[in-house]
Amino acid sequence: MEGKKCYINGVGVISPQRTYVNSEFLPEVKSYGNNVLTCVTPDFKAYLSPVQLRRLSRMLRIGMTAATICLGNAGIKVPDGIVTATGYGFLEETEKFLKELLERNEMQLTPTYFMQGTYNALAGLVALSVKCTGYNNTYVSKGFAFENALQDCLILLNANPNFNLLLGSYDESAAVQYTAGMREHQFKKEPVNSLDVFRNKTDGCIQGEGSAFFDLSGEPSASTWCSVEGIQLIYRPESPDELKETINSFLLRHDVQETDVDLVVSGMSGCKSKDQLLESLERLIFVNTPRAYFKHLCGEYCTATSFGMWLAASILKKQQIPEIVRASNHEFPDQIDTIFMINHYFNRNYSLVLMRR
Amino acid sequence: MSQRVFITGFGIITSIGNNSVENFQSLVQGRYGYGELSILDTIHRTNLPSCEIKLHDDELKKLSGVGDRKGFTRTTLLGLVALKEAISCAGLTKKEVHRSGLLSATTTGGIREFERHFYDLLNLSKDGPFAQFADTANPGEHCERLADEVGIKGYIATISTACSSSANTIIQGAHLISSNLLDVAICGGAEALSKFTINGFNSLMIVDPEHCRPFDNTRKGLNLGEGAAYVVLESEASLLRNHKSPIAELKGYGNANDAFHQTASSPEGTGAFNAMKQALDSGNVSTQDIDYINAHGTATENNDLSEGTGIQKLFADKVPYFSSTKPYTGHTLAAAGSIEAVFCMLGLQHQMIWPNLNFQHQMPELSITPVRKLMENIRLNYILSNSFGFGGNTSSLLLASA
Repeated sequence: MEGKKCYINGVGVISPQRTYVNSEFLPEVKSYGNNVLTCVTPDFKAYLSPVQLRRLSRMLRIGMTAATICLGNAGIKVPDGIVTATGYGFLEETEKFLKELLERNEMQLTPTYFMQGTYNALAGLVALSVKCTGYNNTYVSKGFAFENALQDCLILLNANPNFNLLLGSYDESAAVQYTAGMREHQFKKEPVNSLDVFRNKTDGCIQGEGSAFFDLSGEPSASTWCSVEGIQLIYRPESPDELKETINSFLLRHDVQETDVDLVVSGMSGCKSKDQLLESLERLIFVNTPRAYFKHLCGEYCTATSFGMWLAASILKKQQIPEIVRASNHEFPDQIDTIFMINHYFNRNYSLVLMRR
Repeated sequence: MSQRVFITGFGIITSIGNNSVENFQSLVQGRYGYGELSILDTIHRTNLPSCEIKLHDDELKKLSGVGDRKGFTRTTLLGLVALKEAISCAGLTKKEVHRSGLLSATTTGGIREFERHFYDLLNLSKDGPFAQFADTANPGEHCERLADEVGIKGYIATISTACSSSANTIIQGAHLISSNLLDVAICGGAEALSKFTINGFNSLMIVDPEHCRPFDNTRKGLNLGEGAAYVVLESEASLLRNHKSPIAELKGYGNANDAFHQTASSPEGTGAFNAMKQALDSGNVSTQDIDYINAHGTATENNDLSEGTGIQKLFADKVPYFSSTKPYTGHTLAAAGSIEAVFCMLGLQHQMIWPNLNFQHQMPELSITPVRKLMENIRLNYILSNSFGFGGNTSSLLLASA
């Protein structure tokens, strides 16, 4: 299983920052003051047909556009398979259908919201749009969805290195989820400036969203960004030591020393209590390695690892680490060959990803 | 596949039984779950009969061993009943369970509880017992809760590809085992009936108020159902180590997309054909080797025509025995793939083929006819089990006698 390469040969990302132009790298940073981050979107007309513009929900437009940008960047018309990931799916559409259902007492309902609310609607739409009859799957595993989807792709590419797989995430800052999150004390009670989320040492994080698509192949191309060496999921680690041990064996399996890692990309969320394990870990491993954080730019959401992967891929391709993501006092290197990424979702779902130039 | 994948256990709960034995007896006796709804609170109780499990949530809590603890949705409770049976059937130790992966499927998760308490939940100034269901609109919530209940930590995944979901959990579990990432993967799905689902399918006008009739020319749509089933997949190495004998081998599988329409299958059955073909090819098995196909057979006009055409195209003039078991359980959506995989294994174990209930009138578009009566003493070596869904998702599993 391990050992074979996987390359990111195309990228298309729509997020709360202007990330949809692949030749740019965080040209301007947007801050949010109300604890809810929403996508900075391109002009959809350039990517969608008039029918799609009229019919598709906001998140389907965002996802379809991110997928289109990614395929264009990779120079691929039809991928060999499509794997998508989401935590809450199209919750806005689900809510609309539910509201109609309750208000109309289960009578005279139209199916549009129901259809556009199904979790695999985006994977189906992309398949239909580009006529991709190959492998098709959708993961909805909370804070593991994107990791599961990436793992799925790595396994498929191991058997079929010549494949081009379209891997994508989507999650939206839905009001319903915000309310649910407030009940579960997931979000901050007091408004914070998103860019100050790590300075403000209180409980709760800020809500984010985004859609990130990657073209993955076992073979490099002219448009290659970087390689993905491996991924590991850790469900509910009990201690920083358990995390440290898992990281060590993960690195060993990929033949990487701690000192080989040039940069750690960390999914610190800004929540004082939920970040505790990661904070302890920073004193146990990679003590001398520079760190980058990203959730002040995209917010917290189930598939935020995909934004982290975009950041790591961009750093490796462009060989620059933007000032805004630098999160430690270390000297940051000029040459970045190896990035280790660790993410967590509400201190339950942890994941490790190793990426190389 | 570098590592062979075997099935060493299964568990199931549907409207025709709370466990494998009860489901088997119902299949043999032709007992189905279709009838008026009495547990779910909906205005469609009498006009849209479905295949409902006649146990209230409190009774399911007892059955699943949850007792009076809070936060368990009906989907989770159904899942827990089936999951516990599967674990005990496979004889997994606590340590083995701990290292196992859990791959579960659902189309709506806990939307049943979410819709019931919708306005209360959205009003942050209100508090009450309903608050235990705050996060149940999340589809992955049930899977983590199931894992926590039985102590699984090895790998967690929730899949939602509409009605092919749990077939895809089995495929992904096999991938993880054959690439040596897991020794044991417990795969399946759980689905509770909800107003959301019943009204969604009703708005698409594909629910038949009468008892559904797969592959029959008078078919008018599907009946919805609820249930859960999990199968335990184990690597060959794990079997050898534990001197275990398997129930069946997962010999191959196929996953494709029809890429035809958002909610309809192509009339040519492209996706169905591709999924079945891939399953045969990956298992190195030819069309003549297949003894039985458990069809997706939802009884919608569209599915049965598309699937039947796909089957005829692949098997030409040598179409094996086939039937849809949907009239027994209704369409259990994300759970259908694993429920029907369990039915296939019960067939393998008892050398039986389950009848396609309610078939009377031949479809003029097809030259093939499903099995109409229970067939006994049939030696089954290879079985295909189909699961298709909205979004063009098509999957097929190839099961072999061990």
